Amino acid sequence: MRRRAPARGRAAGVLVLLSGAAAALLMWWWQARAGLERERVTLAQSVAAPSAGTPGPAGASSAPRPPPGAPLSPLGQAERAEQRALWQVRLDRARQALDGYRAAAQYPHESRPIEEHPDQVRPFEPIAEERALRMPGGGSAAQGVRLRTTQERVFVSGMESSRITLTLTDEAGRLLPLRVTRAMLKEVTAPDQTARTAEVALDVNDAGRQGDTVAGDGTLTALMQPGAQGFGSFAGTVRLEMYLDHAGQPGFIYFDLVYSPEQAATWLPGVREAAGPGGLDFFVKAQVLLPGRYVVSGRVDDNRGRPLALVQFNGEVGKGETEFRLPVFGKLIRDRQPEFPLVLRDVEAFLLKPDAFPDRVMLPRLPGVLHRSRSYALASFSAAEWDSEERRRYLAEFGKDVAEAEQKLRQLGP
Amino acid sequence: MKKALRFIVTLGLVAAGGLVAVAQATNYSLWINGRTGGGQVGIHADFSYWGPATTAAGVNKKSVNWDGYNRISTTNGNVRDALDCYCTGPNWCYVAAHSAGNLQIGYALALYGTSTRSVKTPTPNSAGQCGNSGTGTQTGWNIKWVDVAGGAAGGSELADAGDWALGEPLVSDLKTSTARALYNHNATTGKWFYMFAGAKGTLYSFVLPGQDDEVVAYHSSGGVSGSSGASFCNPSDWLCNDLNLGTAANQGGRTKWSYHTVAFRDSTEQYDHYARGNWAGIVSRVRADMAAYAQ
Repeated sequence: MRRRAPARGRAAGVLVLLSGAAAALLMWWWQARAGLERERVTLAQSVAAPSAGTPGPAGASSAPRPPPGAPLSPLGQAERAEQRALWQVRLDRARQALDGYRAAAQYPHESRPIEEHPDQVRPFEPIAEERALRMPGGGSAAQGVRLRTTQERVFVSGMESSRITLTLTDEAGRLLPLRVTRAMLKEVTAPDQTARTAEVALDVNDAGRQGDTVAGDGTLTALMQPGAQGFGSFAGTVRLEMYLDHAGQPGFIYFDLVYSPEQAATWLPGVREAAGPGGLDFFVKAQVLLPGRYVVSGRVDDNRGRPLALVQFNGEVGKGETEFRLPVFGKLIRDRQPEFPLVLRDVEAFLLKPDAFPDRVMLPRLPGVLHRSRSYALASFSAAEWDSEERRRYLAEFGKDVAEAEQKLRQLGP
Repeated sequence: MKKALRFIVTLGLVAAGGLVAVAQATNYSLWINGRTGGGQVGIHADFSYWGPATTAAGVNKKSVNWDGYNRISTTNGNVRDALDCYCTGPNWCYVAAHSAGNLQIGYALALYGTSTRSVKTPTPNSAGQCGNSGTGTQTGWNIKWVDVAGGAAGGSELADAGDWALGEPLVSDLKTSTARALYNHNATTGKWFYMFAGAKGTLYSFVLPGQDDEVVAYHSSGGVSGSSGASFCNPSDWLCNDLNLGTAANQGGRTKWSYHTVAFRDSTEQYDHYARGNWAGIVSRVRADMAAYAQ
């Protein structure tokens, strides 16, 4: 019995493995068949609705396939040309994904060339917009006039404020008179709730007060500061609604501020730097009061003031004193050859709250220069590209897609 | 005998390994709806928002339904759940988005695209959530590229002007200043966004600057960086800067968000914004693109 048991076990194992092999072969056959079927369906579908953004198949055929090696009929040739066109675009798309990702992944996500983020170079500049002067639902707008607005920011916390300006101009940019007939600050109440705060009339003026920098220059100004205007215990959107008038033509406009009364963290003085072959890291210090995912970004210029990098932190942080690491990647330094010292400026940060609104608690902005680095030899930094499991995973998959499309094209012939 | 047994064992192991690999590596096409919604949240087979579910729209298509009414931040979990389900481990995704769905995928990638994700088994429960596969975690999601129809990531002047219900939470996010400040639109973690921009808009042409599809203007559907308000048009309009195809800066110098390319510009003004529950409008272009290339 003792001698036979292992033999029986081995036999059972062999049987299991053979069954596995058979199942695998069956699965392979099924997958291959499904793949062929899918391809046929796809081709038929794309023929039915060709994509115009990219070259696509140009005709349909239900002609039976000729036996292998036989010369193709005109319909067969058309079908093959159609498949070639399809696979050529698939190849183009796959190559773009591969080449684009490879180029992007020279540097890690948290250390990017600034030219990739042109609208992030000056993050604290007001948002400038231009629009028509009209009433909601009105079928037309005042002709020949443009309403130009600026808004200092969209997200605020604590006692932060956002300055709003308005000017009305003609098409040539000449200032036109504009009157604010009513300006109210109010909470935007969630649909299933009742308002918890009272509306507040807001002073909109061109008299040099409440944030208006130059009296009588034709620019109307209002200052939204929810924490000081009766919304200190409210979390959500605070809206400034304005009813306007220009020569009897009414208009309406509103500005939203996403407000959180909370304080997530406080900045601590000083920035630490650490250099190594991998790059130059800036560590911005903070006392975290609310743990969670923090998103921090800063800009790095070289000594001549040339913008170099957008540096970011995005990660979970516990309560207590912490350092947010903002790295300038070594290869980025080597490639751009900045003049040292490097300057860290204009840092912004918030606590990101998943599945919530407001979804963030802003930290006070840190405008201007925060830190000037020591000087380092360019050669002290590595010229190696970023390496990570994520990067290898992507390059492998995109490379596989390119190889597959190339093989299909080879199979389809010239 | 031993050699033969070893050979069979090896064959079995290889075959079993192949079986696992074949069974697990799957591509999916995820469709993320826009404002109004329509499909049942969490039910990925419900294509009510888009059109008949029998219509080809990319390999293994899934409808990532969210309510199309509430804030992006409070509904983005539905999108992240779907990305976790189908775009982790050996599985890869193509993503198609319409209108405010553009904000959804952009928000997910910019704010959570580098976070650690648990690898899931792609069999969601009725809430659209999948269980952990037990094979660990990974950084970000596996996404090959993103197609966008009538993208509203740059907001809509219809939200600015008060033409939409101002009490609707999503409308607040679609205000141009808010939509553009919601996240860094250049931060796609290296994924390409193919923008499909429609131009068959007439009703709101006095509100929406430049060419529009009746809901969003080219500055948004074409992925133009910076503030809203600028007009972009088809080349046939001599009084307005061109929205250029591809990644090139537009006429007048305004650039697009990084990793955004205009794949389709509606030069003959044939496509409006509305899917109409029948894969219509500018969605029809993205559907055709997905059917052909998301495989």
